[in-house]
Amino acid sequence: MSARINPNTLPDLLAAMQTVQQNAQNAAQEVSTGRRVNNPGDDPSAMAALVFNNAQTSQDAQFQANISDVQSKVQVADSVMNSASQLLTSAISLGTQGATGTLSDANRQSIAAQVAGLQQQLLSLANTSYQGTYIFSGTAVTTQPFTQDSSAPSGVTYNGNSAVTTVQISQGQSLQTNLPGDQVFTNSSGNAFAALNDLTNALNSGNGIAAANTEVHNAFNQLNNQRVFYGNSLNQLQSADSFLSQDTVNLSTQQNNLIGADLTKAISQLSQSQVAEQASISATAQILNLPTLLSYLK
Amino acid sequence: MGTLISSLNMALQSMQAEQEALSTTSNNISNVNTPGYTRQTVSLEEAQPVQYGGFLFGNGVAVGQITSQRDNLLQTRLDQETQQQSKYDSYLGTMQQVQTLFNETTGNGLQSSITGFFNSLQQLSTSPSDTSLRQGVLSAAQNLAQTFNNTANNLSQLQQNADLTVSQSVDQVNNLTSRIATFNSQISSATATGQNAGTFVDQREQLINQLSGLIDVSTIDAGNGAVTLTTSSGAALVVGNQSFQLTTQRNATTGFQDVYSQGADITSGLTGGTLAGAIQARDQTIPSILTSLDSLASGLSNSMNSINKAGTDLNGDAGGNFFTVPTSGSAGAAATISIAITDPSKIAGSLNGSVGDNSNINAMLAVQNQSIVNSHTPLSAYSNLVYQVGNDVSTAQSESTAAQAMVQQLQNQIGSVSGVSINEESVNLVQYERAYQAAAQVASVIDKLTATAINLGQGTSAS
Repeated sequence: MSARINPNTLPDLLAAMQTVQQNAQNAAQEVSTGRRVNNPGDDPSAMAALVFNNAQTSQDAQFQANISDVQSKVQVADSVMNSASQLLTSAISLGTQGATGTLSDANRQSIAAQVAGLQQQLLSLANTSYQGTYIFSGTAVTTQPFTQDSSAPSGVTYNGNSAVTTVQISQGQSLQTNLPGDQVFTNSSGNAFAALNDLTNALNSGNGIAAANTEVHNAFNQLNNQRVFYGNSLNQLQSADSFLSQDTVNLSTQQNNLIGADLTKAISQLSQSQVAEQASISATAQILNLPTLLSYLK
Repeated sequence: MGTLISSLNMALQSMQAEQEALSTTSNNISNVNTPGYTRQTVSLEEAQPVQYGGFLFGNGVAVGQITSQRDNLLQTRLDQETQQQSKYDSYLGTMQQVQTLFNETTGNGLQSSITGFFNSLQQLSTSPSDTSLRQGVLSAAQNLAQTFNNTANNLSQLQQNADLTVSQSVDQVNNLTSRIATFNSQISSATATGQNAGTFVDQREQLINQLSGLIDVSTIDAGNGAVTLTTSSGAALVVGNQSFQLTTQRNATTGFQDVYSQGADITSGLTGGTLAGAIQARDQTIPSILTSLDSLASGLSNSMNSINKAGTDLNGDAGGNFFTVPTSGSAGAAATISIAITDPSKIAGSLNGSVGDNSNINAMLAVQNQSIVNSHTPLSAYSNLVYQVGNDVSTAQSESTAAQAMVQQLQNQIGSVSGVSINEESVNLVQYERAYQAAAQVASVIDKLTATAINLGQGTSAS
């Protein structure tokens, strides 16, 4: 006797139809979301990797925001340095003028007054603030860096500190973002305030002008040396920014590789599934309509 | 015997036999769509021959037995696969909801809150004394604590849903076992008197299959058609005509329902059906996820707290706690974590005491790369958790699909043995009908012959 088969074919037909319908639904979801992975269960390792990918993309955006903020501040500082440099250049030429032997006391004193004026401008420059905080106070950013003090040798007192701030500008990359005022303006290698103060006094008294002029030169050099820091910072910020833009693009590609749907393939799967669905429904209908032996027996 | 009357009796007997066969066929056809129905076949046998005048005469047809075409082994296999499939489906019912809490593709998840918090610190590091940036940090910290709370609470809610499933399933089990016990006694009585208990057995097997969807069931033949049912760990469910009810009892530690049988806790020993799936999700998988979340929350909180305390705030005071978590161990940290700072100036960003120093903020940022959670960085710990959840779901889905395929195959095999084929029954119908007609015809002929015999040597004729 040959093997008997299950006379009830309906469950298999229904199961086949459900499978085909499920495939069609999955393909449709992939096409409409553009994603192959829509739940952790779809691809656990891709989802786990996506955690890092999403985090890094977000961190990169924050770094670029940091860079933009720091850039603005550094540019302001650099422009102060530019003005201060020009100021000292004027002081040098005034000093040279004042050293001329043929000047009268009155002339020298008038030049002294101009140098004193330059010192006032320098004071104002050194006290520049950006978005409510002082640039040249070190980390004591709510304290005005320099105040006038006639009893001090340099004519000013420095009220800030010598600390520096570093800010992270990229993965694993930090940048110092400030120079303390005492390092720039009242450094022992070149003290701009002291130099201008001394030059003013020397011009007024007529003595020690040459020494004062040397001081001004030293201060000028010191300032320009320090200014290099800001140029370098701007360069670093620029290259970090370019790197981050590229990294963001790479991360986007990586994300697509992890969870993105191959749209061409998904669309073709979708149309194939839909065809299969129709075929399955039509086949089921035909089988359901088959007559049994009873209808032939009379 | 060779007499006319005996031939008439034979014809009548034949008609009766064919009628019983027809009745069985009719029963099969009526039950073609009844779930769990096993087709019955009639065996027609020759009756015992009789000796008369030195000859053995055939004595017609008798109905031998009515047999249900059933394969017990296949049925047992089907029950086992049903237990597996139900277990995985029930597990998936909970886990598919769990996995939505960790779905990175929608951007709602712990990762975005953790990264958001550290990003706000990055922003603050560019201008540590800025009050609005400080407020931004507090908002991000609040958001982080909230996300931890929500995730933990959602998981607890899912545990409670699973707990409800456990209670409801136990009720259903008890209902089924008492009905099975009733069938056991009906089957035993019928079998003892030599009757075909096929109908009762069909119904009992259906109930056992439903029971397999709820709990792991082992079937033991108890003789006389009755079966003994136990769980796979040996707890009695049905013995003879008696059913043993399961009870639930609240577990003092977890607050969830444990399953008891005759005073013994059988919860962790259940291996199949809806109960096993719900219990695994409720008592194993979700608690493990909560533990990981708690470690992450308490790790982050403890690090932030100790760093903040090492620094100075905007007012020149030493920093205090950043977050509040339970003090004894990390259990419950995720559900209860909250921020301990409401005044933005109290973020202790400075190490040297000046307001523009961001050294302590940089120290907080460094936590991202420190192994503060079981020798993992915060994100790496979270990523592992996401993988675990996804893997649990994916594995259960594969197992469920495999079990489903087995169930389908077994159902086909059972159908090939026990299923009613209309075509087959139609053939039987015609067969028995023709035999009945033939026997009736024989009776009619004998009737005429008898009349002829009676009319022998008579003037008048009987007809």
